[in-house]
Amino acid sequence: MATVTYDAASRIYPGSTKPAVDALNLDIEDGEFLVLVGPSGCGKSTSLRMLAGLEDVDRGAILIDGKDVSNLPPKARDIAMVFQNYALYPHMTVFDNMAFALKLRKTPKSEIERRVKEAAALLNLQEYLDRKPKALSGGQRQRVAMGRAIVREPQVFLMDEPLSNLDAKLRVQTRSQIAALQARLGTTTVYVTHDQTEALTMGHRVAVLKDGLLQQVDTPRNMYDKPANVFVAGFIGSPAMNIKTVKLGDNGAVLGGLAVPLTREAVAKAGEGADGKVTVGFRPEDVQLVGEGDGGLSMTVDLVEELGSDAYVYGRADLDGAEEQFVIRTDGRHTPNMGDTVYLKPQSTPHIFNAATGERIDG
Amino acid sequence: MTQTAVTEPTGTPPSAGVKHRGVGDRSLTFDVIAHVLLILWSLLVVLPLLWVFVSSFKTTQEVLGSPLTLPHHLNLNNYATAWNDSGVGPAFINSVIVVGFSLVIVMVLGAMCSYVLARFRFFGNRFIYYLMLAGLTFPVFLAIVPLFSILKNFGLLNTLAGLVVTYVAFALPFTVFFLHAFFKRLPYDVYEAAQVDGAGEWRTFFQVMLPMARPGLASVAIFNFLGLWNQFLLPTVLKPDNSVLTQAMAQFQSQAGYAVDFGALFAAVVITVAPVLVVYIIFQRQLRGSVVAGAVK
Repeated sequence: MATVTYDAASRIYPGSTKPAVDALNLDIEDGEFLVLVGPSGCGKSTSLRMLAGLEDVDRGAILIDGKDVSNLPPKARDIAMVFQNYALYPHMTVFDNMAFALKLRKTPKSEIERRVKEAAALLNLQEYLDRKPKALSGGQRQRVAMGRAIVREPQVFLMDEPLSNLDAKLRVQTRSQIAALQARLGTTTVYVTHDQTEALTMGHRVAVLKDGLLQQVDTPRNMYDKPANVFVAGFIGSPAMNIKTVKLGDNGAVLGGLAVPLTREAVAKAGEGADGKVTVGFRPEDVQLVGEGDGGLSMTVDLVEELGSDAYVYGRADLDGAEEQFVIRTDGRHTPNMGDTVYLKPQSTPHIFNAATGERIDG
Repeated sequence: MTQTAVTEPTGTPPSAGVKHRGVGDRSLTFDVIAHVLLILWSLLVVLPLLWVFVSSFKTTQEVLGSPLTLPHHLNLNNYATAWNDSGVGPAFINSVIVVGFSLVIVMVLGAMCSYVLARFRFFGNRFIYYLMLAGLTFPVFLAIVPLFSILKNFGLLNTLAGLVVTYVAFALPFTVFFLHAFFKRLPYDVYEAAQVDGAGEWRTFFQVMLPMARPGLASVAIFNFLGLWNQFLLPTVLKPDNSVLTQAMAQFQSQAGYAVDFGALFAAVVITVAPVLVVYIIFQRQLRGSVVAGAVK
């Protein structure tokens, strides 16, 4: 049980001038499940490896339970890690894989036996304890990797995309198992993924990174409802939010033939350095299809994706002379046909961002 | 391939059928030729060995009189003669001692050296590696005279220990060269997992990395064993009193002149060859398959 603090921690790889992780500030509470998410190359794995002690901290510091561990080797940090490709010891049985760390700590034999058996029971691995990793399926190997971390009873769990090698169904299943396990053990967990669904479903809080810079840390709900900038707005949510940069009028944004009214303060903030433009975003589900005369934005339908309960409608609309792509969610039982013209109207106030900085504007 | 040629359905277009049958015929011919060659090759290798083994139970008269028949009665006199009277016995034991010690030392040193060169970045890494490779290109007979002087100065000339040291130096470059490539390919994640689990560098090497390198170690061990077991030049110069097996064999053969005891000679050959076969059988299981299977993904 411990807190984890990144204090302006940076990592600059040798031979590169640009930091892979740039002055990361992050406070993770005791028992929290924090998910680091971002596109590939955003520095999320590097951040995790810095915490593990597998990468140097070039500037700043990392603290576990208030103690600076920046210069300690991995074994002195009391952390356990689950690797993306599991990294099991191929020549050891499942039992020995899990017991290895305990043996190194000179844990009494009976204690090792007890803890491994417990973890095996928790992960449904009892009957595989005598097998070698090569005789296991991908899902079983993943559980052994989890077990190896659990038996350690460490201060912090680190997980580096542990589900990315599983098939889709198993991934969803294991996702909920890991979340339940973490809730039960109550161990502080830092989890890295590139999958925003995983991030939203598993994390108590989610941290979005891009190009080594922290974009936003928040609960999944807030992350979805109030993205801090255009990048987070586009990254979180599937299909992605419709984000368009349009003309800024005196009373609000002008989305083709559709006016989006904004408060005076919002207009002022949006206008700062933005050259008369504003960025408007609305999620696919926040759009209503209206009749022809109801003042909606007209869109030609290109593609309809039927998902049973819902359908996603992809199409093009004319915005100030440029054709722009839009996606909206509709009732799966009443879908327009390809080539139809439909009329869109945002149901709620759209997300507004400064067109120059990409920062969110509230109001 | 032969199967598809035979069961070719008649309904296929003629052009496709002809083309396919052509391929099938060619591969059938190829298969036949390949198998005939392989069988011939196997016979070439196995038959002399078998003949030597059978002949080692015969008397000289039998060997010369009826070379292709089985021995009249099974007797082990030839082995006793070869072992006791011709000096093959003590030489065999010396060979086992020298090659055994050399092999253990060269494998331990070679594995450690190649592991460090393959996986740690430090100043001079490349330089040491290329120095090792240079040792590989250096013909050993060019170093014979200086080697003689060096061992003499150390007081190791004509001792088994001196031979062991020389064998180790002789076999190390290839061992490092081969294992370097092997250690480079081992997954880094497993190393990191061991670090996080709390293993130090030594323990990681001996308990995690070394077991994963087992197929590579086995291949090099076999190669080194063969090379050192059959070594003749080095012992002739550095241990001149005929005390390892190759020397004893050479002497046995040459001193007999026209009165060769062929039965005993063949027995001595069997004694020489047997350990090689035993070592190969022990290690060849390790060669098959990859030990790393199941480590990652």
